[in-house]
Amino acid sequence: MVAVTRTGGIAGRRREWRVEPPASDVPHWVALIEDCPWDATPTDPAPGADRFVWRIRARCETPTETVERDAELPEPQVEGPWQTLIDEVRGASGPSTA
Amino acid sequence: MTHPHRAQAVPHPAPPPPHRPHAIVPPYLLARVAATDHPAFARAAEAAQRTLRGRAPRTRLTLSVEGDTLVAEATPAPDRTISDAQNSTRLPGVVVRREDDPPVADQAVNEAFDGLGATFDLFEQAYDRNSIDGGGLPLHATVHYGREYDNAFWDGARMVFGDGDGEVFTGFTRSITVIGHELAHGVTEHTAGLVYRGQSGALNESVSDVFGALTEQHALGQTADEASWLIGAEIFTDAVEGEALRSMKAPGTAYDDDVLGKDPQPAHMRDFVVTQEDNGGVHINSGIPNRAFHLAATTLGGFAWERAGLIWYRALTSPDLPPTADFAAFAAVTRAAAAGEYGEESEEAAAVRAAWIEVGVQEDDGSGTDGR
Repeated sequence: MVAVTRTGGIAGRRREWRVEPPASDVPHWVALIEDCPWDATPTDPAPGADRFVWRIRARCETPTETVERDAELPEPQVEGPWQTLIDEVRGASGPSTA
Repeated sequence: MTHPHRAQAVPHPAPPPPHRPHAIVPPYLLARVAATDHPAFARAAEAAQRTLRGRAPRTRLTLSVEGDTLVAEATPAPDRTISDAQNSTRLPGVVVRREDDPPVADQAVNEAFDGLGATFDLFEQAYDRNSIDGGGLPLHATVHYGREYDNAFWDGARMVFGDGDGEVFTGFTRSITVIGHELAHGVTEHTAGLVYRGQSGALNESVSDVFGALTEQHALGQTADEASWLIGAEIFTDAVEGEALRSMKAPGTAYDDDVLGKDPQPAHMRDFVVTQEDNGGVHINSGIPNRAFHLAATTLGGFAWERAGLIWYRALTSPDLPPTADFAAFAAVTRAAAAGEYGEESEEAAAVRAAWIEVGVQEDDGSGTDGR
């Protein structure tokens, strides 16, 4: 399972996208997850106001391990592998939920 | 003769009476004024020279005739630059309109330009504040940010506007309250510096809603009773069951929609939402101080930017307001500002006190006056 939640913005609207990949796709998702710098997420909010805040949660089980990750990112930090992971989740998910 | 620069806050901008011809000075006349060495026009000449040099802070020189006398008034003027991100997320984008340029074909550009001007006018005319920093800081905005981008934000240096997704949100420049909201974030950053998390973050948001709403009311000449007190009333598509992003009059009632869900804003401290999301619910709990302002403004009546707005502005710029202020601390500073501006026993002080009690931020300490 990989869940992406976006909050904040001037509207303060909460949106969530979630994907439950089939077993055959798990290696692909584990690779996407492991590409992200989970231990290097910033702790300070972005400068300015009304930026989005992203939270990414991942839990994938492989034959040898269970991968669990959780991170919160201010919008300006969403780039590179983070952007790729978020885009993949949004693309594979159905319509967002509130 | 000349009028001196205005140095005191003007409670509200009195429009010029119809018998006084009033015009923005064309460049050729500006040059004549700049060149004069007559002592009576020294200040006007200096202002005209500054304007011609194009250096910030810009000055608007206005001439009028009173009887047989030519009157020159120099007031601060905005210095706006609008850029186009061309649907990328790269800032600032391509400059498409500067201060002296005429309107362009792109309506979003003109809406941003005009909205920044209206917000500048509110702060300058009602509070004698020259731009975001009080020192004539140029105003920078970018439109067409991203693709189907559902947001507008202040990035610490500029205001940025998306076009919306077309399904829920339309372009964010359509709303003057949204533009005023974003510029007000810049004012807060240059004054109280309210930390953007938890209650101080919700105050930061509320202050932006207050001055966003006042920008619209000031531009339209609306009294507190006439105003909608809605934030972002123009940015929903017709498909949305809702009237705006937020209602300052009735937080929690702005929308109730299948896709958007229900407006989550509380209107009272008993309904304060504890959450880690959205920097601790800054866009949610702002409903509580928003309603306090609405209550104070409608109790006082008239133009809300005059008394209630001036009190909130005095609080925002008070050295007694810490960056980590919670609702109670902000309430105390607004009450002190009201008492300082109008007196301890004034109706303004009573209205502010009653507003904070009504939303549950302060308890009734029995210091009020009956009927207020």
